[in-house]
Amino acid sequence: MNRHFLPIILVLGAACGSHRPGRTLEYYFTADPRSLDPALSTDVPSGEVVTLLFDNLTRFDVDGRLEPDLARSWELDRRGVTYTFHLRPGVRFHDGRPLTARDVAASFRRALAPATSGGRGWPLYPIQGAEAFAAGTAAGISGLRIPDDSTVVLSLARPLNVFPKLLAMPVAAVVPESLPPGDFGQHPIGSGPWRFVSWSHDDQIVVARNPDYWGKPAASDTLRIRIIPEALTQAAEYESGRLSVVEVPFGETARWEHDHAAELDRRPAIRALYVAINTRRGPLADVRVRQALNYATDVSTLLGQIMGGRGTRTAGALPPGLDGYDSTRAPYPHDVAKAKALLRAAGYPNGISLQLWRTDRDEYGRLAQAIQQELAEAGIRVEIVERDASTARAASMHGNADLFLTDWYADYPDAEDFNFPLFHSSNAGAGGNRAFLADSALDRMITRARETPDSAERVGLDRQIDARVFALAPWIFLWAPVDLWARQPYLHGWRIPAIFTGQRWTDAVVSR
Amino acid sequence: MIGVLARRLIALTPTLLGVLVIAFLLLQVAPGDPVAAIVGDRADPATVARLRLELRLDEPLPRRFVAYVVGILHGDLGTSFITRRPISRDLIERFPATLRLAFAAMLFAAVTGMALGIIGAIRPGGWWDRATTIAAYLGVSFPVYWVGLLLILVFALTLRWLPPSGSDGLSFLILPALTLGMRSVAIVARMTRTALAEALQGDFVRTARAKGLTEWRVVLHHGLRNALLPVITVIGLDFGSYLTGSILTETIFSWPGVGRYVLDAITKRDLPAVQGSILFLCVTFVFVNLLTDLCYAKADPRVAFE
Repeated sequence: MNRHFLPIILVLGAACGSHRPGRTLEYYFTADPRSLDPALSTDVPSGEVVTLLFDNLTRFDVDGRLEPDLARSWELDRRGVTYTFHLRPGVRFHDGRPLTARDVAASFRRALAPATSGGRGWPLYPIQGAEAFAAGTAAGISGLRIPDDSTVVLSLARPLNVFPKLLAMPVAAVVPESLPPGDFGQHPIGSGPWRFVSWSHDDQIVVARNPDYWGKPAASDTLRIRIIPEALTQAAEYESGRLSVVEVPFGETARWEHDHAAELDRRPAIRALYVAINTRRGPLADVRVRQALNYATDVSTLLGQIMGGRGTRTAGALPPGLDGYDSTRAPYPHDVAKAKALLRAAGYPNGISLQLWRTDRDEYGRLAQAIQQELAEAGIRVEIVERDASTARAASMHGNADLFLTDWYADYPDAEDFNFPLFHSSNAGAGGNRAFLADSALDRMITRARETPDSAERVGLDRQIDARVFALAPWIFLWAPVDLWARQPYLHGWRIPAIFTGQRWTDAVVSR
Repeated sequence: MIGVLARRLIALTPTLLGVLVIAFLLLQVAPGDPVAAIVGDRADPATVARLRLELRLDEPLPRRFVAYVVGILHGDLGTSFITRRPISRDLIERFPATLRLAFAAMLFAAVTGMALGIIGAIRPGGWWDRATTIAAYLGVSFPVYWVGLLLILVFALTLRWLPPSGSDGLSFLILPALTLGMRSVAIVARMTRTALAEALQGDFVRTARAKGLTEWRVVLHHGLRNALLPVITVIGLDFGSYLTGSILTETIFSWPGVGRYVLDAITKRDLPAVQGSILFLCVTFVFVNLLTDLCYAKADPRVAFE
């Protein structure tokens, strides 16, 4: 029986394979989105779908440039605190209702209100009164006004030059003022280039072209987003032609460069890979010890041997491509003698013992071991603590890790998204500053860079901030990774986005 | 039969109570922070404090346990911290996929395993018996992860007969079912072979042969019926474990079942989702065992009599 059983079910199975229409784009996420409700979008998959289904006042293009979205234009007053946004006329939600300023105001209130907020209201906090409203201590948002149906006025508590970029974040997407009954996160209605069709959890999300989109409608009929958690399965799906694009895993770079060279696209990511050094813990409070860690690490070798060269070494936190990045500054050279000398000068002639925490992500395993070996040569004894992401992240957030191997993905393409969350003392711990760096001069520079209306001054300040961060060495500075994706030869009009909210798939089309 | 059922149901009560307590305590004492999973890498302390309050994370353990038990008694498994959806709805949505996969894997394991076992038992020590023994050992030894990827490589990438992953139709079920059932095939085959070989030595088999019955009728109707008890045990236990989520298989084949839901809930420290799903899965496992016991009674009337 067994001799005949397998071929029979295989043939039967092949006959039952589902038909896949030609004008369908096939994309994937590694995890099910938290929700399709913008107010709950705190994760990348949610943010990507929200970008497809909804519109914001502003948005990023595929290269990360800010451009008007629902707001066709905006002005800033002379004090630099009040923005007036003029809405585009004739925009309608997918259910046909017109989109007005009242919907914008309702969306912002909803994203902040304790009952409906998902815990990521900070992009809207610069609006005067927003934080008090989010905390439940104010009945409304004092800095939010809608003089008429096509105008939104937002007054900030302090000047913040990056504010229009914050409005392009998924949490600031515009939803209808009166929501349909039921779970909006499961049946979203937006005004974006794609309308919602279905969501089968942990399986797939299907969206269809919105023919009534106010801008250029999508070139394809359907975009199907599969949920595929396993990297090798993603690769198999792509290689069997069932995915339009796939991200190449770091460990597979060489094979893909050999087998699929013509299909590969590269883009330097606005992302930093680093080891956060907790500046509050023991010897790590001494800048000489932190610099010693940098001198002891042979970053170029690690990048070449472990990551297949998929990254750009950085001498600071800012990745290339951001204003404020300084390509002329040299990284810490690999100099074990210098590292030992710095440790001696700091009063640790016999070296130090540290714990390096890491999550269970594949690419971190070999990297953590290699760093451990590098540091051992300088007399820095490292114990690697591997935990699941939740445990490791909580340990670093609460300041319980000496060293934490991690990375930072930009929420929006701007130096401010690195300098402020990662190094301002007000963000120590949960805010993103996992090094717990507290430097008053740096704080002042960061605040000034956020508030100045002068773009040239701001770029200069961002350079100075990065230089000071480099000197203070709150990280072992590793590299900015390079994104590597494979794209099917028959897929056109798709590029790797600079930022995760920058790809709307509207130009993408399959032509076999 | 009713007596067996009643005794088993009474015996289940302390088990379910234990499950209730363990499901609650398990993640309360584990490290990690659900709020960290919700807010991501950038948050403000006020939001973190507000979420801790909303999720009642700082309340004393006994008070939270009481609230949890009251919810369970009202048939409410709670709401996910992360998705804010009712956990029972999430489980009900995913359970049919798990059920489909479990049935397919078990069908494959039972049919293939018993067939191999029967053939081995008819000619003990023959080349076919030795071959199935080796195959059984290999089946048990290969890790699910490796088997799954190998099947994808052969049937999806090389031969292109089947899709690598997903759950759109019957063709999508085959590879995960083979992967999941592979280990059970080996065990069922060995169990069937040993029990049947022993049964075929019995006096009743000699009598059946003396009556002039065909060899197949002797083996299948007389020998196999008496060899079924250990086989049912294995099938029941394995089926129970398949139903309670096959995390690796579901992950490799992107199968939208309960196993992935539980894994995701654990990694995000989604406490209500973990508690709710553990309770749901334990109850499922316990009832599958109960069904197995009832099958015993059906297969061997002496069990019901005892």
